[in-house]
Amino acid sequence: MNAATLLERLQAYLPVLLAGAAHTLLVSAVAIVAGFMLGAVLLGLSTARGGRGVLPALVSVYVSFFRGTPLLVQLLMVFYLPSAAGLELPPLAAAMAVMAANSAAFQCEILRAGLSAVPGGQVEAALAFGISPRQVFRYIQLPQVARAVWPAVVSEAIDVIKNSAIVSVIAVADLARGGRQIVAANFRPLEVYMTVGVAYLLMTAAVFAGGSWIARRMERASAASTRVVNRTAIRT
Amino acid sequence: MIDFTLLGELLPVFGQAALRTLVLVAVGMAGGLVLGFAMNAARETGVRALTALYWAYTTVWRGVPFLVHLFIVYFGLPSAGVRLDPFQAAALTLAVYSGAYFAEIFRACWQRIGRGQIEAARCMGLTRRQVFTHIACPQALRASLPLIANQAILVMKESALASVITYPELTMTAGKVVAEQFVYVEPYLLLALAYWALAVLINRLGGYLRRRVAL
Repeated sequence: MNAATLLERLQAYLPVLLAGAAHTLLVSAVAIVAGFMLGAVLLGLSTARGGRGVLPALVSVYVSFFRGTPLLVQLLMVFYLPSAAGLELPPLAAAMAVMAANSAAFQCEILRAGLSAVPGGQVEAALAFGISPRQVFRYIQLPQVARAVWPAVVSEAIDVIKNSAIVSVIAVADLARGGRQIVAANFRPLEVYMTVGVAYLLMTAAVFAGGSWIARRMERASAASTRVVNRTAIRT
Repeated sequence: MIDFTLLGELLPVFGQAALRTLVLVAVGMAGGLVLGFAMNAARETGVRALTALYWAYTTVWRGVPFLVHLFIVYFGLPSAGVRLDPFQAAALTLAVYSGAYFAEIFRACWQRIGRGQIEAARCMGLTRRQVFTHIACPQALRASLPLIANQAILVMKESALASVITYPELTMTAGKVVAEQFVYVEPYLLLALAYWALAVLINRLGGYLRRRVAL
């Protein structure tokens, strides 16, 4: 077990792990983007008509279910229940659907918290000044909500990447599955799974670094617009 | 559609499995809380090596999926001479994994305490240690309770992965029923309901504790 052979072995793992990482990133990206859109729709449904009625109640049951049960259980249910009815879902599609539905529940709550970060007075003041509701959303609510939810969305993205390892259980050829395949062939679980761990760490660290960079840029933009407001505001 | 006699037959089996899940979660939580508290206390000493250890621990353990940690501990450690049974492996991994999150929770709550309080206490002649136990601890621990309850639900959800290394908790039990009796709807329905009930239970417990310690 000298260093050169370890290096050679790692080189041999590389193609399998890279192919796996590509699947992990694909599933995660679909889950985050589709989860965001579905989460926004859920939030819209739950705040419609003042948050009363059947729809908001259904949304809260949905959110409570997806946040209160393990992703593995959700995955097994979606993968095996249709097969009981004779319907075969391809594993990759089932994995993406469950991960997106799961992330939507979390992102719905993130957006809800973000929206409440904009004081109602601002919206009322803007409307009183004759700014259209569309512009109020675009120029007043959206930038502030984006800034407020961004750190939570980044941390959700990291959670999604980590949770995506679970899809290997239903035979999606992701990074964790790649590790299992290599171990099945060479019986070196310690070094293979640690390599897989490092690969996940690199991905989550990259998302974290990128997310922090964008957060800093948003802070700078916010500080700049505050300076403009302070310079042009009518002093009383 | 749903076979209620089967549901009745499955209930005691699932009850036992839920108990195993609860024990696993309780052991993992206890270990994680102790480890997380110790790591944060080590960081609070201000010793540079301990602070570096804290960052390495929380970064590595929070940046890698629980499943991969579990594989390293259960499948990997035997080749380093450490052989654990499924329960030990799952409980240990759960403890160290959740410990990283608890450490971050404690750190956030510790850093929320006003600097002025700490400085005032130090001016009054309290030692660092006394500040930690008498000023910071009571406030930070109280503030951390809701976050700990939240994390407990995450620990419970991660515990489902113990089924992958064949520890017969809830998820594994449901899988076994499915494989042996070729029924799908009842076991999975019961499984989801069991976890959901546990989540609600933990949530309630957290709320109760929070009211108990509220000022």
